[in-house]
Amino acid sequence: MVKAVVGEESQLQLVEDRLSQSSAPAQVGLVIGKLSSGLDRGFVYDLVPTPQNDAGQSACSVLEPAKDNRKKGSNSKPKSQSSDSSSSLVIDKEWVAEHARQVSRMMVGGINVVGIYVWASEATFKNSTMVLCQTVKGVAEAASLLEDDLDERLLIHICYSPRRWTCRNCTLSSNITSSSLRPCDFKMGRVLTSLQTFKCFYNFDLRLPIYQEKASKSETLVDVLHNGISNYVKELRGAKAMIDGNLVVNDEICTTDGLHEIELLLPFMKDMYIEACSQKDVVGIVNLTGSVCSFSFLNSKETISQAVADIKDDIIRSLLSRLDIICDEADEDAGTNDDVIKETRNDSLSEKPVSQLVLHSLRKNCNLSLPRRVFVPWLAGTFISDHLQPSETLEVLKDHCVELMSMEAPNDASKILEPEEESLRVTARSFWDAVLPYCSTSSPSNEKSREITSKETSQKTIKPSNVNFIAAIIILLLSVLVGFIFVRKS
Amino acid sequence: MEKNNKSIRIECPKLLITRNESDLQWLIGSPFFPPLTIISTFRCIHSGSSDPDFLKESEEIRTLLLKGLDVIGALIVGKSDPQKTAVRAVEAARNLRRVLSGRTNLENEEIIGAVADPDTGDIRFFVSENESSASLDLVNSVSYDANPEKFLWESGCLLLCQLPIKLPVCFPVNKPSDVECIFSRAIEAVIAKLKDPNVVYLVEASNKASLDVVQPVIIRGADLDFDTTAPNIELLDEAAHSSEQKLLPCGHFCLKSKSTPHLFSAKNADILQVSVLLNRSEKSPKRSAPAVEYFPAMEETRLLIVDFKLEVLCYAVQGIPLMHAISKLIIPGLIDQLISMKQMTLPNLLTQHPELHPYHFSPPGIAHPVTVIYELSYGETEMKQVDARRSLHMRLGLPFDRPLLRIANSLDLSIKDRSSTSSTRKGSSFLKDVHIGIPSSGVSGGIVSLVQGSYEYYHYLQDGFDDSGWGCAYRSLQTIISWFRLQHYSAVDVPSHREIQQSLVDIGDKDPAFIGSREWIGAIELSFVLDKLLGVSCKVINVRSGSELPEKCRELAFHFETQGTPIMIGGGVLAYTLLGVDYNEATGECAYLILDPHYTGSDDVKKIVNGGWCGWKKSVDSKGKSFFLQDKFYNLLLPQRPNMV
Repeated sequence: MVKAVVGEESQLQLVEDRLSQSSAPAQVGLVIGKLSSGLDRGFVYDLVPTPQNDAGQSACSVLEPAKDNRKKGSNSKPKSQSSDSSSSLVIDKEWVAEHARQVSRMMVGGINVVGIYVWASEATFKNSTMVLCQTVKGVAEAASLLEDDLDERLLIHICYSPRRWTCRNCTLSSNITSSSLRPCDFKMGRVLTSLQTFKCFYNFDLRLPIYQEKASKSETLVDVLHNGISNYVKELRGAKAMIDGNLVVNDEICTTDGLHEIELLLPFMKDMYIEACSQKDVVGIVNLTGSVCSFSFLNSKETISQAVADIKDDIIRSLLSRLDIICDEADEDAGTNDDVIKETRNDSLSEKPVSQLVLHSLRKNCNLSLPRRVFVPWLAGTFISDHLQPSETLEVLKDHCVELMSMEAPNDASKILEPEEESLRVTARSFWDAVLPYCSTSSPSNEKSREITSKETSQKTIKPSNVNFIAAIIILLLSVLVGFIFVRKS
Repeated sequence: MEKNNKSIRIECPKLLITRNESDLQWLIGSPFFPPLTIISTFRCIHSGSSDPDFLKESEEIRTLLLKGLDVIGALIVGKSDPQKTAVRAVEAARNLRRVLSGRTNLENEEIIGAVADPDTGDIRFFVSENESSASLDLVNSVSYDANPEKFLWESGCLLLCQLPIKLPVCFPVNKPSDVECIFSRAIEAVIAKLKDPNVVYLVEASNKASLDVVQPVIIRGADLDFDTTAPNIELLDEAAHSSEQKLLPCGHFCLKSKSTPHLFSAKNADILQVSVLLNRSEKSPKRSAPAVEYFPAMEETRLLIVDFKLEVLCYAVQGIPLMHAISKLIIPGLIDQLISMKQMTLPNLLTQHPELHPYHFSPPGIAHPVTVIYELSYGETEMKQVDARRSLHMRLGLPFDRPLLRIANSLDLSIKDRSSTSSTRKGSSFLKDVHIGIPSSGVSGGIVSLVQGSYEYYHYLQDGFDDSGWGCAYRSLQTIISWFRLQHYSAVDVPSHREIQQSLVDIGDKDPAFIGSREWIGAIELSFVLDKLLGVSCKVINVRSGSELPEKCRELAFHFETQGTPIMIGGGVLAYTLLGVDYNEATGECAYLILDPHYTGSDDVKKIVNGGWCGWKKSVDSKGKSFFLQDKFYNLLLPQRPNMV
């Protein structure tokens, strides 16, 4: 139960100035920060206004009571309404939730969407607790915190006259009652500058067998990945961690400054995501490989195990966000985007994006690159992230920053971190290679060899008996090629 | 044959040669010990017409022998020319070492060839310096150590690594013959991965006391060195305390204070727990964003998941660096066990799913533990398992009437609190082995023969059940059954009075009205219940008068030597449990170690011993009073140890 909340004074002062200068009668937006169940405290780093919706309407407006003859808020001066004791807020809850969903994808470890804020008069606020609670709930569902999810979020009210900040703790019970909102202590302070930075690369290699079962007959690639990642969460949660080369054993407070590297240690060959079964028919195998780069930011009073938990959360969230982005895209332009399918030369399949393919009926190798993650400097040395599709450039990232986070577009591209390389779309392996544990993920070293190997595999299916033979040929070709290049260079 | 100053140390509790022994025994030593130190012997149980079957022998010994111990020679029982026999022994030992290690050049390794005379039991030891020279040196200086446990465990420790592996294997349905090849490739991939630089070995102490003090240590696969041969491992000086984690010695995790000699045993050894983890944040020059590939199976394919539960126990001296312990002991141990399990799984890979599980035992007479892989899908009493245990008993020279290698007797290696003493174990509120530490009997020159193993003391009024005046025989029976339980002959709970009565009614000895009554039972009833509940048969000795009992002393002593079970004494009035006799054959003087079930006090050893409820009784005490009454008859019930393994 969060009892006290500290807001970052430098940032919230800016917010307050911005609000007091705006002419809007009311404003709603997201609270970015962190709730710590261990410390019973909340930290607020920034408030981000929800942008206008697709129809150009504000997410929040003030509804005058029916007896009032004047029109709704838009044409009158906001200050004059504050005296009206019966006005209430109208909030586009779905839109705020959608904003939360998009923003939560940009968050990193230890920085979350932890609630909403509202800029309104005391009376309006009082008349609108129900809709505010519903909005908080919608936001909580859209941007769920994964690890030991607290069933509470913050509702910050900035009252314009008298100018006052109040914070309430909203319990996310199934039915909203008057007791859902509890006041909690709110004060301003400096929290951002004392944050500790943790960084982690997480390399994974998931093999997800596709079973010849009726139940899985209609599963799309995205369904399979979603299930696979969800099952994988347990394994990742149990992982041991090292910080700067030292095993995390005791729950200590991190005392040294600077960037801390986290290394995650997983059990050897104890893949829990493989169901225990005696024998099952399979139609294929999905292999999800690659690296996730993750950051997490820790308050000075929190323990290092919290940093590890935040990193794990961030890794899972980043993976799931990428899947969501792929799905969103597939929904938006199903069939029109031919860039999604490169592999398919078969006409019957070209209508659907790869992510929506039903694997059972798919008899060809296919591959799909998930978006890569980039990091943008945010407040006081922290980062937020974004996921870019292979076709997208940094311009997309700038748009997201401006639109969703209401921050200035980062001008200096050199300050943007791009730790993840675009993944290669290369199928140099056969089914029989892919099912072997720890088979080396072949990553050809140069462009030309990639062409050759992909041709090789597209031509024939490789049977286990002649795998070695084919592999030998590939290696031979590769070595000839590499030799050739070297000779030419010299 | 030239004189030399070599000497052989024998650190095994028994190196006894009897006529019935198999004629070849492997001598076990360790690279950590001074050369030519024998710590145990394994009998060779697979041999062809003249030579041992090295392949079969090596497979079994590889499983059985902890890493950190090895075969250092052989002993042949024979009457022919000792020199020639010794040459044969050395050759056999070299062969076995070669198969075990997979190495071919064993040039400069000293091998012991021993020859035992089957009649006299005399053993002569020869040493072969290296393979090329055919000459053997006779070693005359042979020393036997009275306390091999101390030798092994004073500076030694155990390393335990548990590694469950789930191995997915895909195979084409219409070509199931491929599965073996694919399975083998998968195993090879795992073996290669164990040596991968990204694998991380986590070492921690496994007892609570050190767990609080000593932080776990991480050894990275990249730091491991697989080249140096075991004998060259440098021991680290304890004084040279290295700050670098990988160079820490095993002793870093061991308890420093171990002065009491009875703590030197495999059961009390310091155990280092090693876990195998995979570093998923390894550094790599290229980090690609996640990508998905789908590989459809082009033919009908089936997925088989094979479960392995590897559990490797290794012996190491505390001075060796952790990184060597891992690269030289743990990893080879894991690989060998995986290969053993693979061989056991392979023949029926698609039809059966054996549940293989390694267990570790520390049988009496062998100072070091051994590892055995059991197949759990069979019951322990099934013939196949009994045969497996029988051959193990044979190899280790264990008696065939003790269930020493049953799972219940395996070493408990889980994390435990060593500070608590053995007398108050969890799960049992009853006192155990109350006779330990009581004053001696006072029989001069007597030989003491005692019950073998543990029992619980049952007496009147226990468990809030008032049986004073009638329940003494029931209590004695409970004590006897607890002995069978604690020796792992049976897992049945110790029966209550009512359950004892019920079983007597069940076999038709008593009427149903007997249940819930306060009727006495005697030695004969006890034998019925033991037979019914445990399948244990008993011998009964009758004496017409208490004064005849001393005549039976020799027989009772023999019972304790060979059977070692507690004896129930019933008869005219009172029932007792007899735990031992102290008998001087020359003078005929004797005393009986009596555990008296009539005690009604609290379970306090001091009170029990001071009150004489457990103590030595002479037939006629110093005041001329007879313990066994002259005018009463007595029945002595001697439960026989089941003849099983």
